[in-house]
Amino acid sequence: MTGPAERGAGARLRRSLVRIGAMAAKEAIHVRRDPRTLGLALVMPVAMLFLFGYGVSMDLEHLPVSFADLDRSDASRALARALDAPGELDVVARQGAQEAEALFRGGLAVGAVVVPEGYSKDLAAGRRTPVQLLVDGADALVANQLVAKVQATVRAETVRLAGPDAARLAPPIQVKVWTLYNPEARSAVFMVPGLSAWLLAITAVMLTALAIAGEWERGSMEQLFATPVGRFEIVAGKLLPYLVLGLLTYQLVLAFGMVAFELPVRGSLVLVALLGLVFLAGMLGQGLLVSVLTRNQLVATQAGALSAMLPSILLSGMIFPVENMPRVLQAVAAIVPAKYLVHGLRGVLLKGNGLAEIWPDLLGMALFAAAVLAIATARFRRRIA
Amino acid sequence: MSAAIEARELTRRFGAFTAVDRVSFEVERGEIFGYLGANGAGKSTTIRMLIGLVAPSAGAATVAGHDVATAREAVKASIGYMSQKFSLYLDLPVIENLAFFGAAYGLEGKALRRRAAELLERVGLAGSEDQTTGDLPGGLRQRLALASALMHAPPVVFLDEPTAGVDPVARRAFWDLIRELAAAGTTVFVTTHYLDEAEYCRRIGLMVDGRLVALDTPAGLKRTWVPDRVVVARGSRLGAAERAFRATPGVRAVAPFGAALHVRVDPAALDAAGVAAALARAGAVDVHAEDAAPSLEDVFLAVVGADGRGGA
Repeated sequence: MTGPAERGAGARLRRSLVRIGAMAAKEAIHVRRDPRTLGLALVMPVAMLFLFGYGVSMDLEHLPVSFADLDRSDASRALARALDAPGELDVVARQGAQEAEALFRGGLAVGAVVVPEGYSKDLAAGRRTPVQLLVDGADALVANQLVAKVQATVRAETVRLAGPDAARLAPPIQVKVWTLYNPEARSAVFMVPGLSAWLLAITAVMLTALAIAGEWERGSMEQLFATPVGRFEIVAGKLLPYLVLGLLTYQLVLAFGMVAFELPVRGSLVLVALLGLVFLAGMLGQGLLVSVLTRNQLVATQAGALSAMLPSILLSGMIFPVENMPRVLQAVAAIVPAKYLVHGLRGVLLKGNGLAEIWPDLLGMALFAAAVLAIATARFRRRIA
Repeated sequence: MSAAIEARELTRRFGAFTAVDRVSFEVERGEIFGYLGANGAGKSTTIRMLIGLVAPSAGAATVAGHDVATAREAVKASIGYMSQKFSLYLDLPVIENLAFFGAAYGLEGKALRRRAAELLERVGLAGSEDQTTGDLPGGLRQRLALASALMHAPPVVFLDEPTAGVDPVARRAFWDLIRELAAAGTTVFVTTHYLDEAEYCRRIGLMVDGRLVALDTPAGLKRTWVPDRVVVARGSRLGAAERAFRATPGVRAVAPFGAALHVRVDPAALDAAGVAAALARAGAVDVHAEDAAPSLEDVFLAVVGADGRGGA
């Protein structure tokens, strides 16, 4: 029961919440009564995850590796030069073996080559020498590529230094692969965080773009503007059900990844949820912006799909490591929220990272969300009157 | 008490184009006010200014006592609006459409359910609560839209071409609802394309190119704009007689209308009997002539024609 002349801020807020609730409830009914929406939001992502869960092989270039030279000989320096030769690998730092893991965590290197003391002597004597290669196994594609390349280079160096006889022997230099984060080098595990970003981006952007463009197209937006429901209340009420739906999709995809691909959860689930929430806010804002700019369901669908799909698949690091991209693309990728979600999610799920490591990812996504929502709401306000 | 709607020199320009040009009128409480005009004459823009969707470029207006430029929220809370491009959610059940618009206007819980039931009863949709709105025939949909616009019992209702595309029987039923509404004290501001519907309005404003060129009761408009006597003549060989008949003093216009002739004459010079006699002299046989009331269509043509020639 409401009093006759409620005037306080509390009463106004309550009335506003009632109107947002009305918008959200209406939108929820739209969703519930449209099987296509639910299919797009819940079935498609799981089907996609199943299809894409098995990695894609491709060539990679300029993988950053660190080089720990404990031998300090002509032979070891020659190996470093051979590895750094233009092509797949870039030797980014020459440090001790202990620092290798720190380099991975910092994302500065995807692998480390450790040349032990006595490398050149053993080589001259024709003995097998255990050159170590530490690989960040979280990225199966990169790991495979790295192992193959280092193995080939080391073998070539052996032949060059020990003479053609060495080729007949068992490889006198042994490559040890130390997989740090993804012991079985399963690409599915590596792909799931990337896929969840991609799927979430598509469903969230498309659904909101469609839902809001639909109101313009139907003419009901004008009807809404003629009611006391404010612009902000319209936006909030429309986005709320899709936020819930998006979080549901997110959980479903991750749960499916855990069951089907044994995706580990080494970090906090709260952080996983937080990453998803901040990411979704940005995607809903992007959908809103698309719909405000297009005001037409057909165009909104295409613009929404493109703007969600391309960056999140190409620039997120899901398939192509961002660090291997030209500088221009890296700069573009820096505003793509999917990049931060992929990075943050891999960190939390596969490495057990905490807030200390992922806060830049959260911040990047939060900035994107704030910017997009602000632009969209401003455009939305100017569209009328 | 002030009028339900009051417009003073209300003007809206879009760039160099003046959509509504210094329009002034008052609508009384409980009045059905018809707003007529061709497409693009400025009807919808006027409504959009009155409901706070478009800001006036000049002039002022109040609706239910609230200034449309400065008190938009108060205006919105006191009006119901049925837009031209219709806007129920077709995928929602009937009751959910009412519930949504009710909640949008701040109704909740028991009050909302009671009001929805009452309106469904009134518009003849009781029992259809759970039907999908899109499955309703056009006429029932319009009534549901009206019910949605009435959930918060607004003192003023704006209906922008509410019966467009609805069959005549359903239109009649819809207008019965509008008249009941007005009889109960609600002010109704309605635009329409159908001139027969305009007869139901207590007063009519006629818009031509953004200007309100005529404003009166239907009868008053007819007296002012169609001062001629209109006579309908039936008989044989009317077509053959028509040419000679036109020369009769006092005859202003002759138009075939089915098998009959519609004749406009100077009321001072001729009456129905005079028309019959003149037709007989011109060669028609078995002539029967009687006075006919001018229609709003005659008014509309006269107004638009006068305006097109640059003034009456």
